[in-house]
This record gives sequence, C-alpha cells and structure tokens, in this order.
Amino acid sequence: MKVRVDPERCQGHTLCAMIAPKAFQLDDIDGHSSAVGEEVPADQEEQVREAAHSCPERAIQLF
Amino acid sequence: MSEAGADDDRKKHRVHFDRHTPEYRDQFEEITHDLHAKCPIAWTDTHGGHWVASGNREVFELARAAEFLSNDHDVKGERRGYKGITIPSPPRSREQQGGFLEMDPPGQRHYRQALNPYLSPAAVARWIPFVDEVVRACLDEKIEEGRIDFVDDLANVVPAVLTLAMLGIPLKDWTVYNEPAHASVYTPPHSPDMARVLELSRNMGRSLYRSLLEIREHPRPGLVDALVHAEIHGRRPSDEELVGVLALLVGGGFDTTTALTAHALEWLSQHPGERDRLSRERDTLLDSATEEFLRFFTPAPGDGRTISADCEIAGQRFEEGERLWLSWAMANRDPAVFPDPDRVHLDRKGNRHSSFGLGIHRCIGSNVARTVFKRMVTAVLDRIPDYRCDPDGTVHYETIGVIQGMRHLPAAFTPGRRLGPSLDETLETLQKACDEQRLAEPVTTRPGRAKTER
Repeated sequence: MKVRVDPERCQGHTLCAMIAPKAFQLDDIDGHSSAVGEEVPADQEEQVREAAHSCPERAIQLF
Repeated sequence: MSEAGADDDRKKHRVHFDRHTPEYRDQFEEITHDLHAKCPIAWTDTHGGHWVASGNREVFELARAAEFLSNDHDVKGERRGYKGITIPSPPRSREQQGGFLEMDPPGQRHYRQALNPYLSPAAVARWIPFVDEVVRACLDEKIEEGRIDFVDDLANVVPAVLTLAMLGIPLKDWTVYNEPAHASVYTPPHSPDMARVLELSRNMGRSLYRSLLEIREHPRPGLVDALVHAEIHGRRPSDEELVGVLALLVGGGFDTTTALTAHALEWLSQHPGERDRLSRERDTLLDSATEEFLRFFTPAPGDGRTISADCEIAGQRFEEGERLWLSWAMANRDPAVFPDPDRVHLDRKGNRHSSFGLGIHRCIGSNVARTVFKRMVTAVLDRIPDYRCDPDGTVHYETIGVIQGMRHLPAAFTPGRRLGPSLDETLETLQKACDEQRLAEPVTTRPGRAKTER
C-alpha cells in the first residue's frame, strides 16, 4: 500500500499524525502533513487507513 | 405520491428535540441513546424545524459532505439568505457573521491559511513557558488560602490571557473580555440580565475594533496583524468582517477550554483514585485522558448547517435550504463506536471523538486547547493534589445548547506556599516578554520558545 497527502487539500488539522505518528510528519510552520515515506510498512497499514478515513479534508490518498 | 406525502415520508422520523432546555441537560444520556436506537437522523419542528443528527456514522458522513452543506451566514441577504451555524438564529437586529466559521470555502480556507502559522502544533508549543507562568500565578493567588474557584481563579484566566497574547492585545485587558465571553453563552435569552450582558458584548466588540485600527496603524505581531494583512478572495476584507473573525477567536479561545478544564477537575475530584493514577502515570495517560475528557464532556456540543443542494447522505434525503444540527456531543456517546460510552475511561484507545468538530470547519485552535488544558491540570495535580470540589457551590450552565460549561467550581485543599509574584505583576512581566521577544510572531518568523524570567 502507498500513501500520499495532497498538499493542496491538507489544512493542517493534524489528525493523521495523531493516529499514525510513524507514517505522517507535520510541517512546523503550518502543521501541514506529508507522508514519511510513500510505501506504507505492513504494520502501519491499519493506522494509515484510519488516518485517511479520519482526514477532515479527505487529503490522504491510498493507492 | 403527492409532494406533502413525499415530505412526510422523508421526515418520517419525527421527534421533539430542544437542546436549549434544562431537561436536555438533565436527561442527556437517555435522550441521546433513544435517538441512537430509533433515529440517528431525525426531524424536529422546534426552532423553525430542523434535522438533528446524533449517530456517530451519520454525523461523520454529514459533516464531511462539504459539497452539500453550507456554514454561510448571509447577514446582508447578498447570497442565499442562509442562517449560519446557530439554531435558532439570533434576532435580526443582533445578527453578525461569526467569522470564518460562518463562511464557506474558498474564503473560509483563506482565513485558515492566514492563521495556521500561529496555531500549528510547533507554533503553540512555543507558548508553554508563558502558559506555565500564568498558571503558576493563578495558583499562587489562592494556594495560601487553601480555597480556589477553579473557574473564576484559573480556568477563566489562563485561556483568556493566552488568547489575548496570541492576538497581540494587551494582557491586562483580559477582564474586559472575560465576562462577556462567558456570560453571552450562559445567559438565557429571556434573562433580566441579558441587557447588561449585551452591553458588555458590544463593549467587547468596540474594544476588538479599536485593537484592529490600532494594530493597522502601529503594527505589532499577532493574529490581529495577520488578519489586517490577510487577502481573502484576493482583497482585504471589511473591518466588520474582521471584527466577526476576532469575536470568533475570542469565543473559541475562552469559554470552551474553560468548560473542558472545569469538568475534568470536577470529575477528578469525584474520582480521587483516578486522579492519583492520572498524576502518577501522566507520561502515558495524560494524552488519552485529555481526549477522553474532550469526548465525554464535549464543551462545544454541536453546530448548525444549511443544506446547500438536494442530496442523500447516510440514507436520508435532504432538500436545499433545510437546517441541520450536527451533534458532536451525541455522536461522542454512540455505543457503535465507543464501548461503554457513558463512562470515562482515562486510557480509552482509538478515541475518535468529534469534540473539535469534523470536516473542513474543524476547530483551528485544537492545539491551543489541548496544551492549555494539560498545563492547567498537571499544575493542579502537582501543587494541590488533595483538592475537593464543593458540590453546593458548583454552578453548571443551566443549559448545554451552546456550550456545556460551568460558572463556578469552588474547591478546598491543604494550603501550600507561593512560588512567585502575583497575577497582576506576572501579567506585567509577561507583557514585557511579549513586546520584547515579539512572542506573537508566527512560527515562520520566531521559531524559538518564549523565555520567561522565572
């Protein structure tokens, strides 16, 4: 599974990094999120799915 | 089927729902679970008629359907006449757009982008030494007496002072904003005190307007400065619109965190074993406990919306123009998502509560709220660990239609010793720190933490 955060949609709600702290990193400036790596390790898949589901902006794409 | 028949069919789940009555507060759990079991989306004829969403899945799906929902409050009748997020809407004479919470994208998004660099996790963390000093001074004021009112003497003060500091408004003015920010929420519309509260609110509005003019003329850093320079729809917004945004930031920054803190401290007093455990295991327990208090007490219990296009969401058909109440508080008690929903479990896992709202309007100050709450609670646990709240002196808001808050929460404890100067003196020192270190700059300009003398 791969993950990407759409920088145009993300508004820095920071929920993804709370749910999957190893998979997402937050920008210091505006709290916007990005994926730590595109490839999601197997043991983080569930958290990353939940993060994508919880994103208020629907900015997290799984593919 | 005739049109009226079709309407009856759409609104077949009818309830009498009025969240502005004391009964709703008193019977919150029964009403909530009745709605969950029978009709997680229901129609009520109260307050001009509106939908009520209480189920977790339903609230989640609705709140994120930004393409079919509007927050717009069209005060001047320039668009579709929508009424914003308050149900019922205030009388015409008192209508004012509630900042970007009563706007739709893209304007709403432009505002958030302008303010995020002041409110991101990294930006808020810079304020921790400042917050700790205010908390220290608040507790010092009372620690020798062995008595405190957690609302008046702590939970009202710290969020207010920090909010003003972040705005770039003089700290000593917190008293100008304090009473209207809380009283305008807890005073029932027909109260004899309402005229006085309205005057206090108008005074607060004038004061915000003066700050706007002053900071535009003589710039100093903070959220006001960010708003003065913000481009919304490619232009500078009117002063009237900006005062609405400032009132939103004051309203969001003051009463909500106060409400959360007071309820958590009251609960911890009622459960001293859990209080000791939280204090002992705070390194692992404080984060989950914070989320659990947010879930259980839901300081801001919901938001109104207007349906902006005919649609079907979560199995319910809606028509353009209909009003909808999204109950964060009831969604937070849905047993389908939260096992044992009516009990506080400090170590609850996977706590996806909706207390900061859901969707694009989710609270922009959630990082501030969490930080301030945690600093206040841990300082209380450290300095007055044996406090006992006095149920006879405790005053909850009579209704929880707008904010589930508290007016007073007196407590007694074993007296301790002061650690530093008085609150007034501390605010003077901190004002100097704000001015000299330009603490309210966005994190882009000032990445380092606040330095306080003590």
